[in-house]
Amino acid sequence: MIVERDSKNIKKIEKLSNLKVGEKGKIVAINITNKIVKRHLLDMGLVRGTVVEVKKIAPMGDPIDLSLRSYELCIRKSDLNQIDVEVV
Amino acid sequence: MKIALIGNQNSGKTTLFNVLTGMNAKIGNWPGVTIEKKVGTIKGTKHELVDLPGIYSLSPYSIEEEISRKFVFEEKPDIIINIVDSTSLERSLYLTTQLLELDTRVIVVLNMADMLEKKGITIDVEKLKNELGTDVIKISALKETGINELVDALSKNKTKYELKKYDAVIENELSKIEFRLEKKLLHKKFIAVKLIEGDERFSGYKSDEINSVIDGLKPKYDTDLEEVIATERYNYIDSLKDKVLKRKMVREDISDKLDKVFLNKWIAFPIFVVIMFAIYYLSVGVIGSYTVDLISLLFENIGMWMESTLATLGASEWIVSLVVDGIVAGVGAVLNFVPQLIILFICISVLETTGYMSRIALLLDKLFRKIGLSGKSLIPFIVGSGCSVPGIMGSRIIENQDERKMTAILTPFIPCSAKLPIIALFAGYFFENNSGLVSASLYFFAIFVIILSACIMKKWVFKNTSSTYISELPNYKVPSAKYIFKDVFEKVTAFIKRAGSVILICSIVIWFLLSFSLNLEYGVNVEESILAKVGDKISWVFYPMLGENSWGATVSAIQGLVAKEQVVSSMAVIAGFAENVEEGSSIFGNGENGQGTGIFSFFTAASAYAFMVFNLFSAPCFGAIGAMKRELGGTKKMLKAVVFQTILAWVLAVIVYQIGSRIEMGILSVTDLVIIGIILCIVVAIVVKKEKNKECSGCPYCKDCDKK
Repeated sequence: MIVERDSKNIKKIEKLSNLKVGEKGKIVAINITNKIVKRHLLDMGLVRGTVVEVKKIAPMGDPIDLSLRSYELCIRKSDLNQIDVEVV
Repeated sequence: MKIALIGNQNSGKTTLFNVLTGMNAKIGNWPGVTIEKKVGTIKGTKHELVDLPGIYSLSPYSIEEEISRKFVFEEKPDIIINIVDSTSLERSLYLTTQLLELDTRVIVVLNMADMLEKKGITIDVEKLKNELGTDVIKISALKETGINELVDALSKNKTKYELKKYDAVIENELSKIEFRLEKKLLHKKFIAVKLIEGDERFSGYKSDEINSVIDGLKPKYDTDLEEVIATERYNYIDSLKDKVLKRKMVREDISDKLDKVFLNKWIAFPIFVVIMFAIYYLSVGVIGSYTVDLISLLFENIGMWMESTLATLGASEWIVSLVVDGIVAGVGAVLNFVPQLIILFICISVLETTGYMSRIALLLDKLFRKIGLSGKSLIPFIVGSGCSVPGIMGSRIIENQDERKMTAILTPFIPCSAKLPIIALFAGYFFENNSGLVSASLYFFAIFVIILSACIMKKWVFKNTSSTYISELPNYKVPSAKYIFKDVFEKVTAFIKRAGSVILICSIVIWFLLSFSLNLEYGVNVEESILAKVGDKISWVFYPMLGENSWGATVSAIQGLVAKEQVVSSMAVIAGFAENVEEGSSIFGNGENGQGTGIFSFFTAASAYAFMVFNLFSAPCFGAIGAMKRELGGTKKMLKAVVFQTILAWVLAVIVYQIGSRIEMGILSVTDLVIIGIILCIVVAIVVKKEKNKECSGCPYCKDCDKK
């Protein structure tokens, strides 16, 4: 976890895969190197500035079910690992 | 007029297609049901309607999106009906923003209007219409409201005007590029956007001038232009949404409550096992034992009636034999199993439409990933328990190519409905009191075979490591009884039709080959028939799993290539031309009391199980082989897969027989087996652990590895 000190307030930057059920985050960077996966996630609405909530976690702990843009999307931890969010 | 139906996966496209055309195309509640385009005519008009696979975008990366894009560019539809799931408006409008860049007229259809109120959402349709500058119509495909309005709108003529949805910088550059493209070109705006995104498939339109415009744009952003465009689109949608959509807070919806059970950490897995077990136990075990006797009695009577009628009419002996021993026996043997199939089809149909399927995929993804598959592989597997062909085609919902190919090869291992007669026949006769248990055991055997072959393929064929799982989780739905009835009816009629065509012809051929000798003499001893002589030549192949050189079993197993139920049909015809097959006594009898001819009396429980294993897991029928060829992309790859399946099936069947027959002889006890099993498990665990450690030290993905 990185804590960035802004001039006004403190931002908590976290990997999206580290969020717990019920926690929300605002996407600040998408670092996915695989072009196909990145485009797919962009198309599904995971763009910078999007607020996502961890809704459910699969019984075996992976993938994770996110709620965003009033629908639910399941993604594996290994991909969420490469997305940075600001915890809100 | 040609009209294309385009929309997100699971947005109700096919339901609308069925309503508009009056057809009953396959629907389901998981993303990706429609895998190939379907064509129909809109009722009361001459408009041709094409249902395209569900897509989220027109990116160049997925097969489905490619199909849809090609269709728009090459087939040039007059109108695109863009179906939008109004309960998730934002994500759905993303595709709309892309479609509106085309020069084709787009009608936006807000589907699932009936769900809006429940979710506390109101959408200002008029405002949305003005903002988008095109027709917007609110409908419910399920409740069939707003359909007339949609059909009327098709014949109206409306021009759309352009949207400015990107920031000023990009809009400016876009018009520069558009200006430099050929004047007569269609879809200029769309192509310009693609050029900025860097889409390889449009690089043919590039020129030095356009390149310099794009190069000038790159330094203005800190991410690649593909991301910039996507972000801009969603920013536009966000502002649009604020203008047209109002949402009231609602309580936790029913899907979340159900998921607390079905996706519960502790009980999700047991629930899944119980549901799957119940389906197969119900269809093969319970229902089978009641219905089969009734239907067999019917065919027995038909056979006797035919025999006497034909005799009174003065038909010669061989004609009577052809009809009674060939046709009625062969076709009847297969039709006996229709009630079991009905139950199986109902269960699968319910599973497909409720939304539980997506949960199973989510549940098993972590497990499946370990053996080189995706959680989504489970959907083709379950569909494949009805019929392998749609199952294999369904593997397209998987993004990763290797996972997709593996799934296509593994799907035929799942016992399909045509294999059900084989299971029901053998399990019913040789495991009389445990037939339900034994048939369920074969499904678990199938799971074992899938895991085993997945591991083999992952180790030696598909070594690619990177894969993803990105899938929408739909809400639960109450299945529509009307649809399920239609769906089951269609599948059952297809099965009966096959019995009346393919199986009928095969039965006649088999009857001929059985009734004549190589010198074409009629009425020879069965052992002298053409079929027996041919079968004798190759029966050694099956000796290790049957303990007998049986030409009858050999030729029957080979006929499984035509259709798997033909195995049963062929055995019935061979076994002394009797019609009450399901009881098994007429097939497996030794010739006493007029039961059977002794041809199959060598079968024991061990060889019966081994024979089932071979027939279930060897090369599938020609239909499924054809589907595999399409999905694997070549005859050579398909042949490799079929050879792999057949060799694996042979080896497993031999192992089953060799162990089983020793138990029957009393050389091995069940306790011995359990001990051997435990030892094997320990050995495998040690080997796997060693392999894992090896992988981790050298793999380039260590940075993100969760094992670390």
